[in-house]
Amino acid sequence: MKFGGTSVASGENIRHIANLIANYVGQGYAIVAVISALKGVTDRLVEASEQAKNGNRDYIREFIQEIVEKHLTATRKAVENKVIRKAVEQEIRATVDELEKVLTGIIYLGELTPKSKDYVLSFGERLSTPIVWGALRDLGLNAQHYTGKDVGIVTDSNFGEASPLMNVTKHQVKEKIEPLLGKGIVPVVTGYIAATQDGVTTTLGRGGSDYTATIVGAALDVDEVWVWTDVDGLMTSDPKIVPSAKMMPELSFQEATEMTIFGAKAMHPRALEPVMEENIPVRIRNAFNPENPGTLIVKEQKIKPGDAVKAITLVKDVALVNVSGAGMVGAPGTAAKVFDVLGKENINILMISQSVSEANISFIIQRSLLERAVSTLEIALLGRGLIREVTAENDVCVVAVVGAGMKGTPGVASRIFTAIARKGINIRMIAQGSSELNISFVVKEIDGEETVRAVHEEFKLNKI
Amino acid sequence: MRIILIGCGVVGQSFAQILVRREAELVKNYGFHPRVVAIVDRGGAAVNPKGLDLEKVLPLKAEKGTVALSSEGGRPDMSALDVIESVEAEAMVEVTPTNIKDGEPALSHIKTAFKSGKHVVTTNKGPLALALPALTELADYNKVYLRFSGTVGAGTPVLELAKKCLLGDRILSIRGILNGTTNYILTEMDEKHITFQQALKNAQKLGYAEADPSMDVDGLDAACKLVIMANWIMDKKVTLRNVKIQGIRNITLQALEEAAKKGCTVKLIGSINDDLKVVPTEISRHDPICVGGVLNAVTFFSEFAGEETVIGRGAGGLETASTILRDLLDIKQNLATKLVA
Repeated sequence: MKFGGTSVASGENIRHIANLIANYVGQGYAIVAVISALKGVTDRLVEASEQAKNGNRDYIREFIQEIVEKHLTATRKAVENKVIRKAVEQEIRATVDELEKVLTGIIYLGELTPKSKDYVLSFGERLSTPIVWGALRDLGLNAQHYTGKDVGIVTDSNFGEASPLMNVTKHQVKEKIEPLLGKGIVPVVTGYIAATQDGVTTTLGRGGSDYTATIVGAALDVDEVWVWTDVDGLMTSDPKIVPSAKMMPELSFQEATEMTIFGAKAMHPRALEPVMEENIPVRIRNAFNPENPGTLIVKEQKIKPGDAVKAITLVKDVALVNVSGAGMVGAPGTAAKVFDVLGKENINILMISQSVSEANISFIIQRSLLERAVSTLEIALLGRGLIREVTAENDVCVVAVVGAGMKGTPGVASRIFTAIARKGINIRMIAQGSSELNISFVVKEIDGEETVRAVHEEFKLNKI
Repeated sequence: MRIILIGCGVVGQSFAQILVRREAELVKNYGFHPRVVAIVDRGGAAVNPKGLDLEKVLPLKAEKGTVALSSEGGRPDMSALDVIESVEAEAMVEVTPTNIKDGEPALSHIKTAFKSGKHVVTTNKGPLALALPALTELADYNKVYLRFSGTVGAGTPVLELAKKCLLGDRILSIRGILNGTTNYILTEMDEKHITFQQALKNAQKLGYAEADPSMDVDGLDAACKLVIMANWIMDKKVTLRNVKIQGIRNITLQALEEAAKKGCTVKLIGSINDDLKVVPTEISRHDPICVGGVLNAVTFFSEFAGEETVIGRGAGGLETASTILRDLLDIKQNLATKLVA
């Protein structure tokens, strides 16, 4: 079980999730709990490490005060037993002392390496986990708390976004945790943080604590990984756009991957990797509505006929770039040149489309990079007889329609585009990979929400 | 290419006008699409990441005296350094007035541009005369280009002739008339038999000389150009301090008459041999660099190609502005080659 976001936002909520865990333990479940930092703490640590680099002593002094207070307050609300509370408080004070020393060191050096930054960022989880541990103890559970390093998660030294040495990790985590579970202990593990083979603290970057949960889950070959959040599960669309959006009871790993890439607030694809390999289902559940079974993510699922489209997401803050010129027709390597130039500038391309006439290539990038992308392309490629013009549109958005059932089902695209055409909305660009899991297209930004609603309605996603 | 323009005097405005007039042609013939994303003058800045509408900004500058009052991106609160640091652009064009005491504020502008990864084109002689070796090293280190064709000979391609057309040859020495104002004064004295003071007054009346003519008549302007040529063309690590300078204030009519008897005249000659000198010198009227009026003339003595002389107008807003465009096109071509290997 992994707990993050609002479920660890306050002492009351920690008390609540401790009860939740105790309840499942009471029903005979063997549980490993993976804990995120208290809500907002990781962002504050990022800010503090930057301030320390700039030598801002006053800021750090106040920050340390704030961090101590925040965690002690949460402890008071989460843990009632005085002895246990005292133990947690002592641990928090000792850990914050260490944090203060680290930040002071950064102030003196005036330098923040990725290595020291990871060390600073690890404190969020190191401070939240003992509180959960205290709350569980308070409820009479035999809990023990560990860091990701303690339980044996070993990564490379790519600080900021370390990758686990998966087989070593699986072996070590199994060796460490299995005996604990055998003794009836509830291990409480820090999410997000791990260590290199030399024991230097690293963080798992994107996917963070979810990643820790799936790594531990894969190592122990668990029955399911439960990710507790504050929503009932994954929705067919953003309910702010489509009020009738429904929760999806089940979807496949591939669909989940497609959805998160297109901005749905689900799990990062990276975090799904360990469980995909071991075929362990992941369940996304609401800690404040545990009656709801949530969304189950599984390897493969039966596709009901007519169940082509699963979900629709809207990606904003993007821009369309169009590179055109008669010189591009039949000139091998043109696309490579365009993308190579952008790659060298570290500009990521979200979506690509080229017609068979080859006279133009359109692609979608993050909007904040638009001016740089256009200028770089012009400098590199204009005036070489290849490209005549680079144009841009920054008032667009991408709509992505996801569903494993679209594969091999004729007429899905036609239904999507007919539904949009009926609303009088013009489509600027279309892309579909041959995996057929996803059709993405670009419309004007003002038409984005209307488009999502039209497709949602066409496939009757409000009636699943 | 996104460009930040620092300084919006005669040269800056002329440059902007050239861009307006030639935009379509630049795109078509050179694949060069300039976008001026910021202009800074004494009153503040005008900024638009997508490119300022120069046809709106220029008349406003003429009318109100500053671009900072523009309704489109006017930022009276932003300094040049703020703009250079925070506005994204590929290149900075630095055309603030020359200061040969400490090179500021241009020197700071250029260093800041380098640090933030921007290529620099300047027509400002101050920073170059004082610190060219330091600036070229800094540009190399930050992997950006520094170009300054307009600093010597204005529109006349003095630096390019030596650097590009004589590629592979070795330039042994350089000699020339590098300042149009003093040349005008000496020509007037010689032809009309008037004193230095009278000739200076005429020059001021015609706008060839400043109210404070010191930069020109004391030889400082010519010395700056000499330093730039020595560094850029002959790879000598020298600055203004290494130049022996003597102006033309003490040139008498007598001296000119003496010279005339020998078929010679007196000109303010800058020369680079083993040492750098700017001194009034008697030269033959048949010497190719013996030009009259406001013209400049430079002779290169090269090992294989012999003597080449280039003659042209050495000043003027539009002339100088045209060199900025030349330098930007050169940078664009270099970048394109680098980006598409």
